[in-house]
Amino acid sequence: MKIFRPLILLILPALAILGCDRSKSTAAAKSRLQLFAFSSYIPQEAIDGFTRETGIPIDYEVYPTNEAMLQKLSANPDHYDVIQPSDYMVEHLVARHMLAPLDPHQLPHLENILGEFRGLPFDPGNQFSVPYMAGTVGIVVNSDKIKAPIRGYKDVFQEKYKGRIVVVDDPREMVTWALETAGIPINDVTPQTLARVKPTLVEWVKLKNIYNSDDPKPPLLSDDRDLGVIYCGDAAALWQENHKFKYVLPAEGAHRFIDNLCIPAGSKHKAEAMAFIDYILRPEVSKMISDKFPYTNPNGAARKLLSKDQLDNPASYPPGSAKLEIFRAIGKASVDLQDMMSEIRHAD
Amino acid sequence: MSRETPITSAGSLSRPAWRGWSLFAILAGWLILFVVLPTLILLVYSFFRGGNGEVEPAFTFANYAKCFRAPYPAVFGWSLAYAALTTALCALIGYPVAFYIGRSSPARRNRLLMLIMIPFATSFLIRTYAWMTLLSHDGLVMYLLRVTHLIPLIFPENLQLLYTNGSVLIVLVYSYLPFMILPIYGSVEKLDESLIEAAADLGAGPFRAFTGVIFPLTLPGVAAGALMVFVPAVAMFAVTTLMSGGNIRLIGDEIEFQCLEGGNLPFGSALGMILLAMFVLSFFLFMRRGAGAKADMMR
Repeated sequence: MKIFRPLILLILPALAILGCDRSKSTAAAKSRLQLFAFSSYIPQEAIDGFTRETGIPIDYEVYPTNEAMLQKLSANPDHYDVIQPSDYMVEHLVARHMLAPLDPHQLPHLENILGEFRGLPFDPGNQFSVPYMAGTVGIVVNSDKIKAPIRGYKDVFQEKYKGRIVVVDDPREMVTWALETAGIPINDVTPQTLARVKPTLVEWVKLKNIYNSDDPKPPLLSDDRDLGVIYCGDAAALWQENHKFKYVLPAEGAHRFIDNLCIPAGSKHKAEAMAFIDYILRPEVSKMISDKFPYTNPNGAARKLLSKDQLDNPASYPPGSAKLEIFRAIGKASVDLQDMMSEIRHAD
Repeated sequence: MSRETPITSAGSLSRPAWRGWSLFAILAGWLILFVVLPTLILLVYSFFRGGNGEVEPAFTFANYAKCFRAPYPAVFGWSLAYAALTTALCALIGYPVAFYIGRSSPARRNRLLMLIMIPFATSFLIRTYAWMTLLSHDGLVMYLLRVTHLIPLIFPENLQLLYTNGSVLIVLVYSYLPFMILPIYGSVEKLDESLIEAAADLGAGPFRAFTGVIFPLTLPGVAAGALMVFVPAVAMFAVTTLMSGGNIRLIGDEIEFQCLEGGNLPFGSALGMILLAMFVLSFFLFMRRGAGAKADMMR
């Protein structure tokens, strides 16, 4: 003990000096690419592959939602090099001049992106964003347990399924399903439309649903729950595990999302960031993502590399033509929406 | 009792001022850097305008006003209720355990204490996930209930253990039990044997000796344990959402949601500041009552 105290006194300042020295030298020596993306969405092999090829190390920082990303990006506008905003967040970031325009000449693999994923309303000229993965939020049914036909939200949120449902934990998602049920366009979020769907939501919340966005699979796999309204990537993984998990796009209409790769306006490594985005666009890299996270791959060349089983997965590539809607930026209305959902969920 | 300590440390304390101050400086520096400064940053943020992932520097009391509108007062209330229930259950379960350990032979005592401490070697979240697998529909507990035929006989067929209020409470009590056992053990171990013998000599039966002598003497341990369980339990998060499947959202979960997913750092900060104020207030009340109780005992 007696020896320890002076030792600690000696070591602490030494560590502090070492710490300062290291941070300075790394910043000067090698540029590291700061990747800021959703958690469990980019396979580690893809990241390692880029570093192996270019020698550029990547720091991969994760965020749970677009709003959390915006908060951190606003606080450190020049820290991140590649971010992964969803459709409506791209629109918002473009409006706030927070994204750097992309140079198509540095993205030769951009042509792999299928036509239906280009020129979408949130970035009409694809000046600022490249689609990474797309998908829908739909219904997953354990067909061994649930025999009644499930076609839409109305069939899921019934009294007889109380304590049997798992849903995505995102206030805007649940409000969207209620809007679809009421036949209101999902981007028409105003105090009036919120008031109209509130009674429906109160009923739905009373059903003792599990709320989980990170990983809604365990309660379905363990039979703790039989129905879900979840991201198609999770539904596709469930289907791979057991074909009894059927995916249904709600008859009332479903939310379609497109997650993108973008470069923040303040990025200090734009050329490297562009190289990374083009690397992700390569068919074999994009296939790697589909193998691990079976969302809808917008990359036509990569789809050609997928197995028949992957392409037949109804959650990744749903057959038929359902009504799909993309989120638009709704501004301050999102605070009203969140407050209303907090109130409903705590009231229960 | 601890007569040895002053003798051995007397030599090294030849220049107490220098060493003392430098050790204190490390502690103070640590506290300022990682407690005081972050709290001040939160305080500043709590007056900003936020929401939707944006933060606008401003000076507004709107966030605090919102804390006092529905549903947030109820959320604070539920957090206090869950923490109080956790504390009570921990005391009820922990006291006999601590008493047993404290009255065992020294060798056995150390082994038992080890058993209490061992779970800390594993991450707290991993232990929570372990509980989730144990309690899930196809987990071990349900399996045992089914093989022993307790499920159709005593429990209903559609029994749900996981994702209920009960499962939240189980893990809360499980997590905080050691923090109740250790301080009570400390005071049981220090019990003066002669006082108990004196009680017996004066004709007190075992029950009377416990209520009249032993329990009052170990009360400081119970009070310390209660504080160590209650305070962190109020601000508990993650476990509640995991174990209840998001059905129970206490104040800690709400703060986490507002600061991260919800993208409303200023409002989350305001909730945090109110929670902090509640802590400070309850701590002082606790200390005053503790001091009062001590004064009563002296009299």
